[in-house]
Amino acid sequence: MSLVELALYFGLLSLISVGGMPSVMPEMQRFVVDVKGWLTPAEFIQAFAVGQAAPGPNVLIASLIGWNVAGLAGAFVALGAMCFPAAVVAWYVAELWDRFKDSPWRLAVQRAIAPIVVAMILSGGFVLATPESPDWRLWLIAGASVAGMLASKLNPLWLLAGGAIFGAVLL
Amino acid sequence: MNVTQVSPPKNLGELFIGFLWIGARSFGGVLPWAYRTMVEERRWMTGADFTETIGLCQFLPGPNIGNASIVLGKRWFGVRGSIVAFLGLMAAPFVWVLVLYVLYVDFAATNATLRAVVTGVGAAGAGLFIGTAVKLGRPLAKRPVALVLIAACFLCVAVARFSLVIVIPVGLAIALLAARKNWL
Repeated sequence: MSLVELALYFGLLSLISVGGMPSVMPEMQRFVVDVKGWLTPAEFIQAFAVGQAAPGPNVLIASLIGWNVAGLAGAFVALGAMCFPAAVVAWYVAELWDRFKDSPWRLAVQRAIAPIVVAMILSGGFVLATPESPDWRLWLIAGASVAGMLASKLNPLWLLAGGAIFGAVLL
Repeated sequence: MNVTQVSPPKNLGELFIGFLWIGARSFGGVLPWAYRTMVEERRWMTGADFTETIGLCQFLPGPNIGNASIVLGKRWFGVRGSIVAFLGLMAAPFVWVLVLYVLYVDFAATNATLRAVVTGVGAAGAGLFIGTAVKLGRPLAKRPVALVLIAACFLCVAVARFSLVIVIPVGLAIALLAARKNWL
């Protein structure tokens, strides 16, 4: 039963994930933690952290949630459901997109999506840095990595490593 | 050497190995490795072509780089190409993330420091999201309507915790109207 729920829900998320995985992180957290209780808030941020630190596309957080819900089958189903509907859309739209290169609607769509994507990614960051009640130490670590990212061209891995050190000292 | 001279992968095996190689070493984000592998090392495509493809995939729903594997696989070998490129891309990272996670869960049960370290990494990762939003948002900052839209969506999703299933379609519809009126 959980497998079916997982497939349907992640399939739905797949279709609305404009801007990629960061956009749907707040929704995923809401559903997986608040609605379903499959993971605790702390477990969710830790699964996210492992997904970020491991090499690979960040969509793999889906397979970690699936793993928690239903083991290896859950991992496959969650990843597949998160990728497949969007892949079908990409398959068909890739051609249309080229054909409407100069259409005013294509430009409108591009401009309309930008602020929505920015808002969703911002929300994702906020929700992940606030897993339970606001904790200044998590906000401090997140703030430091924002500053590091905007002020330098460091590889993000160094900022994650900084978060690891801050975490060991502060938390 | 002529930098514009590119040759797409010759067969499905080459396509698979290329994407496997991208996924296998993609520490710190797949995008730079995809660029390095496909544009610089294997010269499957030009840099401009790469940027345009990624731009399209950022606009589409779904994992950006996953979509890129679908679009490029299709371009070179049709539906078999899409499947092969996607599987190549995901194979190694899928195994690695699960192994890492299982190890982590095993050790974290007894080790508070490890839990703190990983939570710290998570918070830093959250910061990377916020930093990305700031970078993407900078060009929009001159448009008041865009800022209002961003603030409204943020309040709905992050503070009020409304479902994205509602917020995305409604937000997009409003944004599309605004874009057609040249407010965005």
